[in-house]
Amino acid sequence: MTFLINWLEQRTGLPTQIKTFLTEDVPGGPSYWYVFGSATLFAMILQYVTGIFLTFYYAPSSATAWESTKYIYDHVPLGWFVMSLHYWGATAMIALLFMHLLQVLIWGAYKAPREIMWVVGVLLLVFTLVLGLTGYLLPWDMNAYFASQVAINIASSVPIVGEPTQQFLSGGAGMGTLTINRFFGLHVWLMPALLVLLVVGHLVIFRHNGSAGPPVDTDLKKLPQGRFWPNQMFMDAFASFLVFIVMIVLSIVVPPPLDQKADPTQTFIAYPAWYFLALYGMLRIAGGAPDSVVTIANLLATVVIPGGLVTLLILLPWIDRNPSRSLRRRPWILGLTAISVVGAVGLSVYSQLAIVKEQAAAGQTKPAAAPAAPASSGNPSKNGAKVFGTNCASCHGTAGQGTPGVFPPLAGNPDVTGDPSKIVQIVLDGSNNMPMTVNGANYKGIMPAWKGTLSNTDVADVLTYIRSSWGNKATPVSAADVAKVAK
Amino acid sequence: MTAHAQSYQDPGTPEEQSRRQFLANATLAIGGVIGLVVAVPCAISLIPESLIRPNAAGGPVWTPLSSTELKALESSTDTPVKININFKYQDGYLPPADDSQFVWGVKLTPQQVANFQTSRPDLFKPSGKVKYPAVTMNFVIFSSICPHLGCKYNWDTGAKRFICPCHGSQFNVEGEKLAGPAPRGLDPLPFREKDGKAEITWIQYKSQTPDRIIVAYS
Repeated sequence: MTFLINWLEQRTGLPTQIKTFLTEDVPGGPSYWYVFGSATLFAMILQYVTGIFLTFYYAPSSATAWESTKYIYDHVPLGWFVMSLHYWGATAMIALLFMHLLQVLIWGAYKAPREIMWVVGVLLLVFTLVLGLTGYLLPWDMNAYFASQVAINIASSVPIVGEPTQQFLSGGAGMGTLTINRFFGLHVWLMPALLVLLVVGHLVIFRHNGSAGPPVDTDLKKLPQGRFWPNQMFMDAFASFLVFIVMIVLSIVVPPPLDQKADPTQTFIAYPAWYFLALYGMLRIAGGAPDSVVTIANLLATVVIPGGLVTLLILLPWIDRNPSRSLRRRPWILGLTAISVVGAVGLSVYSQLAIVKEQAAAGQTKPAAAPAAPASSGNPSKNGAKVFGTNCASCHGTAGQGTPGVFPPLAGNPDVTGDPSKIVQIVLDGSNNMPMTVNGANYKGIMPAWKGTLSNTDVADVLTYIRSSWGNKATPVSAADVAKVAK
Repeated sequence: MTAHAQSYQDPGTPEEQSRRQFLANATLAIGGVIGLVVAVPCAISLIPESLIRPNAAGGPVWTPLSSTELKALESSTDTPVKININFKYQDGYLPPADDSQFVWGVKLTPQQVANFQTSRPDLFKPSGKVKYPAVTMNFVIFSSICPHLGCKYNWDTGAKRFICPCHGSQFNVEGEKLAGPAPRGLDPLPFREKDGKAEITWIQYKSQTPDRIIVAYS
């Protein structure tokens, strides 16, 4: 081993450089308070590794994005697990980054001479959020489509640069293949490259300034010093391992949802990723403002407040001129930080509750975890789901919830789950302009006749699908069953 | 920096220093030229084709309604009807394929038609005006896209109004904004009768502006 290290040293100098990099004093001694940065870096590396494997299968176009994502879930060996790790890794990375930033903020570690390191850290947070935003669209399911549509339109409201940004992001007049390509390029190439540059910069500046140590006003050199390697490094590794365990458990127990393929002909209650819930909450509150100020309120919620907060964070080392790092001597900053955190959490909870309430009111069920998709207890054919999505979902809803007073629900509808010949008859001949009564409620919408438009196989497949989805548990329908009624 | 490099110990003659300065500047210039030659086409390539050739995607296309949907629209009373329309659409570099959207059709009473100018003043301002009749044969067809942030809104039978589930904008049956963050009322679409068939043109308007700006046709 020594021979190998010496051989490498003579030819590359790498062992000495690694040793120099790891030889660092930790003022006040090693602590678990210092693990957030390294744990974030660990989560980021995990994102790069899992992301690279996903690109071996993922195909960015409107015709293939959802299909390739589904393929990763359903057919690629352990593909669902890699996808789950990537999904939970994003959550871990952003959560740890928030915690790291919060800790630096509370401990006053952004003060001179660490201002630039702080600015780089804030930029890392911003680019990581962009990474999350651009990754959100890639599965091209219903939520990906509508949530990203909202995000792109919000981007357009930024003065001066909004319009070009919107056009750049959509790649054309509307959302489609070129939009997916743009988001893919940003998510897989540009943002990761920028993150690497910023992380390298962050680490180089960190090594230049050294650890900020605990929030005290004493000279750091007078504090007892601990070793970075191996003492602090072990704590970093242990914390990262704990994060990893949590991610593994979440990946197995709560795999990410994959909704139906994006379909602009549907109404869908879009929901943002958890880290944008606070912004979503502000947008909702702004929407309730009186007509005379609603435009300004919207601009405040989407541009001014978020942009102002980021600017404030970047300029914080120059705004906060208090030289003390002691927690007791910085009541203003700590108070404002506490108010901001409580406000963000409160807005997020408010948004989440509002979304859940509206989804429940609209009968929009949460998408099933992708590995178990489609959401049914039976085995509906893929063709059935496709026929349903193309011809039926626009009236009966993506989750078979129907439209109150107009189109009856299919979920929990006894006509759907009962004698198959009756529902076959309805599909083939339509409702003949007769209102329908389902579970005591009347529906006035007109069901068109599908005879001659759909083949017997398509009718059988779609009926098999709706009879075994959204909690319905009824026997499959065959093309022969349809043919009998069609005679 | 210079501890391990002997050639940097001696500053050299003034001519050598001048030469070195020139070489340093020339190296930076070469890098700059290469960077520009690569960056400019890359940046230009990001401009959407729809901005460079606005007419490449074609103009308005009339899409016929199926007889069933026309019948549903004609027989509707006070409830808007959801109408599916199908058309060919070229998505980026993919071959043209069948695509569909839905619109909301409303049959107005003669009184509503007469009052339309009053109930929808936004449609008669120069900035919000559409270049076609908003009401045709007592029918008005609304785009299904919420003018706020592009979600799809629904008709709420109980509340008797269109409600967008995303951010809560609300509109009455004539498309007038009643509440919420939408900057304008619903966008009517061109509707006509030709050779006994009802036809609709799908237009996508820009979101989040009080003005009606056409973004794309089908």
